[in-house]
Amino acid sequence: MTGSLTRIGYGLAGLGGLLALTEAVPRLGLVDERFLPPASRILGTLAAGLATPELWIALGETMRGWALGLALAFCAAVVAGVVIGIVPGLRALTNSTVEFLRPIPSVALVPLATLLFGPSLGSTLMLVVYASFWQVLIQVLYGVAAVDSVAFDTARSYGLSAWSRVRHLVWPTALPYVMTGLRLAAVVAFILAVTAELVIGSPGLGAEIQVAQSSGAVPTVYALIVLAGLVGIGVNAAVRLLERKVLAWHPSVRSEVAA
Amino acid sequence: MLEISSLNKVYESPGRRVEAIHSVTFGVGAGELVCVVGPSGCGKTTLLRCVAGLLPVSGGEVRVDGALVTGPPPRMAVVFQEYGRSLFPWMTVRQNVELPLREKKVPAGRRRELVAGSLEAVGLGDAADAHPWQLSGGMQQRVAIARAVAYEPQVLLMDEPFAAVDAQTRADLEDLILRLWRDLGVTTLFVTHDIDEAVYLGQRVIVLSSSPTVIMEDLKIDLPPERDQLATRSLPRFGELRGHVYRQIQRARGER
Amino acid sequence: MRAARQPRRVVRLLMRVVRLLALPGLLVLVWWAVSGSAFYLPSPGVVVRAFAETWFSARLLEDVLPSAGRLLAGYAVAGLLGVGLGVLIGSSWRLRATLEPVLEFFRAIPPPLLVPLIMLLAGIDTPMKVLVIVSGCVWPILLNTVAGVRALDEVLADTCRMYGVRGASRLRRFVLRGASPQIMTGLRQALSIGIILMVISEMFASSSGLGFTIVVFQRQFQIAEMWSGILLLGLLGLALSVLFRRVERRVLSWYYGSGAARA
Repeated sequence: MTGSLTRIGYGLAGLGGLLALTEAVPRLGLVDERFLPPASRILGTLAAGLATPELWIALGETMRGWALGLALAFCAAVVAGVVIGIVPGLRALTNSTVEFLRPIPSVALVPLATLLFGPSLGSTLMLVVYASFWQVLIQVLYGVAAVDSVAFDTARSYGLSAWSRVRHLVWPTALPYVMTGLRLAAVVAFILAVTAELVIGSPGLGAEIQVAQSSGAVPTVYALIVLAGLVGIGVNAAVRLLERKVLAWHPSVRSEVAA
Repeated sequence: MLEISSLNKVYESPGRRVEAIHSVTFGVGAGELVCVVGPSGCGKTTLLRCVAGLLPVSGGEVRVDGALVTGPPPRMAVVFQEYGRSLFPWMTVRQNVELPLREKKVPAGRRRELVAGSLEAVGLGDAADAHPWQLSGGMQQRVAIARAVAYEPQVLLMDEPFAAVDAQTRADLEDLILRLWRDLGVTTLFVTHDIDEAVYLGQRVIVLSSSPTVIMEDLKIDLPPERDQLATRSLPRFGELRGHVYRQIQRARGER
Repeated sequence: MRAARQPRRVVRLLMRVVRLLALPGLLVLVWWAVSGSAFYLPSPGVVVRAFAETWFSARLLEDVLPSAGRLLAGYAVAGLLGVGLGVLIGSSWRLRATLEPVLEFFRAIPPPLLVPLIMLLAGIDTPMKVLVIVSGCVWPILLNTVAGVRALDEVLADTCRMYGVRGASRLRRFVLRGASPQIMTGLRQALSIGIILMVISEMFASSSGLGFTIVVFQRQFQIAEMWSGILLLGLLGLALSVLFRRVERRVLSWYYGSGAARA
């Protein structure tokens, strides 16, 4: 108990140190305030922004793109993964395609999204879905592959239908992998959501940063980036919590498959 | 060769203070093989780590050849219980044995000789290019022994080295240790929880109490110097000694 | 016997080729069928021709190689920085406890957001783009290295102390090797971030480079050329990931062999 308290103390000291440093460096004139405003002004700008509806609307747009894109990608990837995983021969047939499409950087789709959807939610969704789909799919494939083939044959010989085999055997076994995929995908989806906004100009935090940057509002740029970092931490914490909740009953305590 | 006097070890963390070793004093003469036994959780490993200089003592002192131990002494080797974790998995058997010699700046020719000789001595002459994880547990522990032997130590410490191998392998390894000890004349301190093993191997057996540890008895093993798994273990005297140590350890348990 | 075995091997080889190419072939066919009617989707033949014309030209030297060079430079700097600092932070309990929340915060910032910021600080030239790549790639490498150094085996650490393995030798033979599985994980994550940042930094502000060229094609509605650019980015991503896997298999052969990877 005392150990973890000490730990928190050190962590707070570290954060305090970071704040003090960003406060002192511009104040002492080591870096021009035009490039790095003091921490107090960054946080002040952030607080002022949070008092206006505009920032909340932008944040809402970002989170909408994130949630929708993640949900679409997750459902599609789970269905695709389970089907590929349990239909005999399909895994071998799709392997080369998956291995080819997966490493394609999703930002390669930026020009296409711009053409098809322009600066709108559609562009965000396209990038988010593409990027997070593979994260989930790969984990689902790992998960289905982890199903014991003896158990699978047993289930078949007892005459379990395909649906109940998936529901009672494949899904519970694959669940920890699925959750890992969801966690990884949630982080990637957030990154791609703000990227689409930043580069294509779809409404959201990224677009706000773009506007602030081109109008030279440096403290606002910093404030928005800090906000994005905080949201990123929140997203991370939320999916971890969800993962723990969903898997609380699960007997298998397994280490993560290297992603 | 090895002198331990009034050694005391206390683990301190905020709000907690655990005395693991109360006071331990004994010596090991040059070329002697001494076994240390005690009930489980009696601080055997703590004692060995203090002697090895891996753990700072809270009181008393350890001397090797007259020199005070403050960190790992230069001419001391240790064989750990966890053979799977004491070998570097990214190195071959040869590289594992060679590494300490490299650090000692032994010239290449002599190094080759020592590595080949020690691997030969533990019966692993043809496994030099394998990786440790390709070998069985007993063979891995042989590699760790070869590494210790090649290092040409004055003092060899062994921390329950055979606790995790099967019975047959264990008997083989015990005889291997006896042979190496006799051939090299290296001063050896052997920690074990196995009474049979201690009596079979040792010239002396030191029986420890439960934690906080003191010495219950320092027993001379008056068995013939040539030991043999079958003959020695069936001697009446072996049975008496074993029974004696066993009663001591029972008493140690009962007192706490 | 042999006569019977020979055809079987041929059949097996044939099956492999079919498995490898069946779906991609089918997809290309679908593409072909669909492409006639859609303005934004030229047929595969057109894209391949555009690919050859666009990229097997001076562009290779002016756009592709500089982009790849910046990626490599930024990635290398991030690797050195991440591993170096990671070893330092991982080795000290105090340092780790102090810096962990700060590092977690920096890692949680979506790396592309650093592009506009670093443009402010470092202008729009090559140093900016390299800096962007460094600043995005360094976190996964750093944090994974910290985790790797933290997970080093204590018995091995004791073994090093006992046998006088210290200093540079300890770092090279024990710390870096022992942490290498986690370091490689960090490097793999950083590689995909690096490609993304390479493209974005060029889309944002540049007059050359892969990302810039593709955006120009898109703005001028040179659809086939744009697709060829997407294809090139895809191939680049694929090539780097295949290369990385090669290196990883080599570096971590002991790790996969020992079965620790599955533990």
